[in-house]
Amino acid sequence: MSRLQSKADAALRAPSPLFDRPAAPGGIFTSNRGFLRALGVLCVVLLVVLPFMDASRYTMSVATSALIYVMFAMGLNVVVGYAGLLDLGYIAFFAVGAYVSGIFTTVLGWPMWAALPMTVLACILAGIIIGAPTLRLRSDYLAIVTLGFGEIIRITANNLKITGGPTGIHGIPTWSFGSWSFADGFTLFGIEFPQRVVFYYFVAAIVVLVGVIGAGRLAKGKMGRAWKAVRDDEDAAEAMGINTYIAKITAYIIGAVWAGVAGQLMATQLSAISPNSFQFLYSALILMAVVLGGMGSTPGVIIGALFVSLAPELLRDFSEWRFLIFGILLVVVMLFRPAGLWPSTAILPWLKKHRPVAPPTAGFMAVPSSASNEDLTTAEGEDAR
Amino acid sequence: MSTLLEVKDLRLQFGGVKAVDGLSFTVESEEILAVIGPNGAGKTSAFNCISGFYLPTSGKVVFDGKDIVRNAPGFWRSLRLVDLLQSFGFYRVLPSRVTKWGMARTFQNLRLFRELSVLDNVKTAMHANIREGFWATLLHTPGYRRAEAECAEQARGWLDFVGFEGDENLFVTQLPYGEQRRVEIARALATSPKLLLLDEPAAGLNFNEKQALMQLIRSIRDLGVAVVLIEHDMGLIMNLAERIVVLNYGKEIAVGTPDQIKNDPVVIEAYLGVEDEPLDPTKLQTGTVDLSLLDDGKKGKLS
Repeated sequence: MSRLQSKADAALRAPSPLFDRPAAPGGIFTSNRGFLRALGVLCVVLLVVLPFMDASRYTMSVATSALIYVMFAMGLNVVVGYAGLLDLGYIAFFAVGAYVSGIFTTVLGWPMWAALPMTVLACILAGIIIGAPTLRLRSDYLAIVTLGFGEIIRITANNLKITGGPTGIHGIPTWSFGSWSFADGFTLFGIEFPQRVVFYYFVAAIVVLVGVIGAGRLAKGKMGRAWKAVRDDEDAAEAMGINTYIAKITAYIIGAVWAGVAGQLMATQLSAISPNSFQFLYSALILMAVVLGGMGSTPGVIIGALFVSLAPELLRDFSEWRFLIFGILLVVVMLFRPAGLWPSTAILPWLKKHRPVAPPTAGFMAVPSSASNEDLTTAEGEDAR
Repeated sequence: MSTLLEVKDLRLQFGGVKAVDGLSFTVESEEILAVIGPNGAGKTSAFNCISGFYLPTSGKVVFDGKDIVRNAPGFWRSLRLVDLLQSFGFYRVLPSRVTKWGMARTFQNLRLFRELSVLDNVKTAMHANIREGFWATLLHTPGYRRAEAECAEQARGWLDFVGFEGDENLFVTQLPYGEQRRVEIARALATSPKLLLLDEPAAGLNFNEKQALMQLIRSIRDLGVAVVLIEHDMGLIMNLAERIVVLNYGKEIAVGTPDQIKNDPVVIEAYLGVEDEPLDPTKLQTGTVDLSLLDDGKKGKLS
C-alpha cells in the first residue's frame, strides 16, 4: 500500500462522493421545507391583510404585542431551543432593551432609530456580563443563576434614578425619521394609515425579517450547527473543534439582542415602562411559549408565542380563572405532545411514507471513486429484479 | 516518518487514585498504533489527557510540535486561582484547539449528536474548516452558499469513504449500531485530522463489521492519517496494528510489534497472571486454617 507523504502537511480533504444523490424534493406538499415556506408566505399575507379587515385600536394593539412576543420567543429559542441553555431570567434582556431605548429617547432626547444601535450594544454587553461567568455552569445551575440575574436587573431598575425608580419612564416617543414620525401616519392610494397601523406594519416587518427569518438562517449555518451540537453533547462538540464556550456565549448574545429589540418595540408601543412590567412571570411565560411550541422549531415557537400572548385576551371572560385554565391547557398539551405542539424533528404526516430511498452503492469501499455511476445503477437494478 | 505525538511521563491523579502513572510513548506519522491493557489500566484516561479533556497532574504531551499540557505560573498557583483560570480556558489547551491542530477522536460510548441528521453530524465536525460570517449567514450571500455547498459535499465524501450506505437525512438514533459507528468515524475524519484516536471502535460489532472496520482503518492510514486505537479484540489488533503499547496500572509495560507483544512474558503476566506452582495440599490446608482464624476473630469482636 502506498502512503501519500505529501498529504501530511496539507489539510486533509474528503474524497469526492462516490455517487450522485437524488436531488431533495421541492414542492409545497412533497417536502417539509417547501411546505414551511408556503406556510410562511401565507402568514405574511395574513399579516399584511389584517389591518384591512379590522384596524380597531384593540385588534392592532393585541396583534402588535403578539408580534413582539414572537420576536421575544424567537430570541429565547436561540438560547433554549438551539443552544440548550435553560434561561429563567430572559426578561432581563427585554428590560435592558426597553430601558436603554427609553433613557436615550426621553432623557437624552435621541430619535428612536438612533437608540436602536445603543440598545443592541447594551444587550451585547449585558449578554457578555451575564453570560461570561454563568455559562461555565450546566443545566440546573445555569437556570438558577439566570433567574437571579433576571431579578437583579429588575431590582436595579427599581432603585436607580435614571430609570425613574418604581414609577419608571413615561412619555417614550414613537419612531420618527427626520420630520416624519409614525404619529403622523400617511396616505397611500387614498387609504389612510393611522399611527397604530403604521407601527403594526413596522413591527411585523422587523419580526418577520429579523426575528423569524434571521434567527432561522443563523440556526442553519455553521454557528447554528455548533449550538445544536452543544445542546446534544457538549463534550463531543468540543471534540469536534467547536469552542463550546464561544458557541454558548454567541447564542446568549444573539438571544439578548433579539430580546432587546423586542423590548425597544414594546417600550415604543406602551410609551411607558416600569420595573413591574419585567417580573419573573414573563420569563416563565416566554419560556413556556418556547417549550409548549417545541424547542428549536420556528413554527412551533411562533405558535407558542401567539398562544401565550393571545390566550389571556381570549380567556378575558374568565378573568380570575385565567391562569388556572392556562395551566390545565398546558398540562393537557404536555401529556399529549410532550415534545411540543410542533417539534423541531417533526415530519409532516403525509410525508412519512415518502422517506427518501437509500442511494445505490456497491458495498463498502468496493468501488474506486472513478467508477461511473451507470455501472452502479445497473448492478443495483439487477439486484432489484 | 516523523514523530507526530510524544507522550512523556504523563501522570493523572484523581485524589489518591493514580489513573495514569508515568506513561510515555510516541506515535509516528501514518502508523497504526494500538493501545491495549487490562480493564482499568488507564487507557481512556490517557486518551482524555492527550486530547485535552483532562488536565494531567504532570507530564508532557507534544502533538505536531505543539505542547498540549501547559503550566500556570506559580503566582496564580499561590493564589489558588489555577482551576478558575483553567475553567475559562487560560493556561490549558482546550479540546477544541487540539482538534483544530489536527487530532480527532471518537468516544468509547457513541456520542453522536442525537437530534441532528447524519449529514449534519458530519457537517458539524467541519466547524473549524469553514468560514461563514455572521452577516453572510444572515443575508445568505453567495460566499455563504458556496461554503455550505462545499461543506455538504465534503460531508458526503466522508460518509461515502466510511461506507455509510443509508439515508443521510435520517436522525442518527434511527440507525443501527454499526452504522452509527461508521458515522462517528466519518465525523472524526471531517475535522481533517493528522492523528485519529479511536476508543474501542470495534466494541459491539459483529465479525463482518469488524472486517470492514479493519479495512476502513487501513484506508484511513493510507490517506496519511496516523491512527491510535484502544481495543480489546486481540485478533483485530494483531492483524491491524503496526506497533502495540501495553498499559498496566497507568504505565506502559511493553512496546513493540504484534509478534514481540504476543511473546512478551510481562504482557502475558499482566493479562493472565503468573502461572501458579502446582497445587500443594499443605498450602491449601493453611489457607482454610487462615480463613477459620479470621472467622473466629470476627465472632470474638461481635460478642
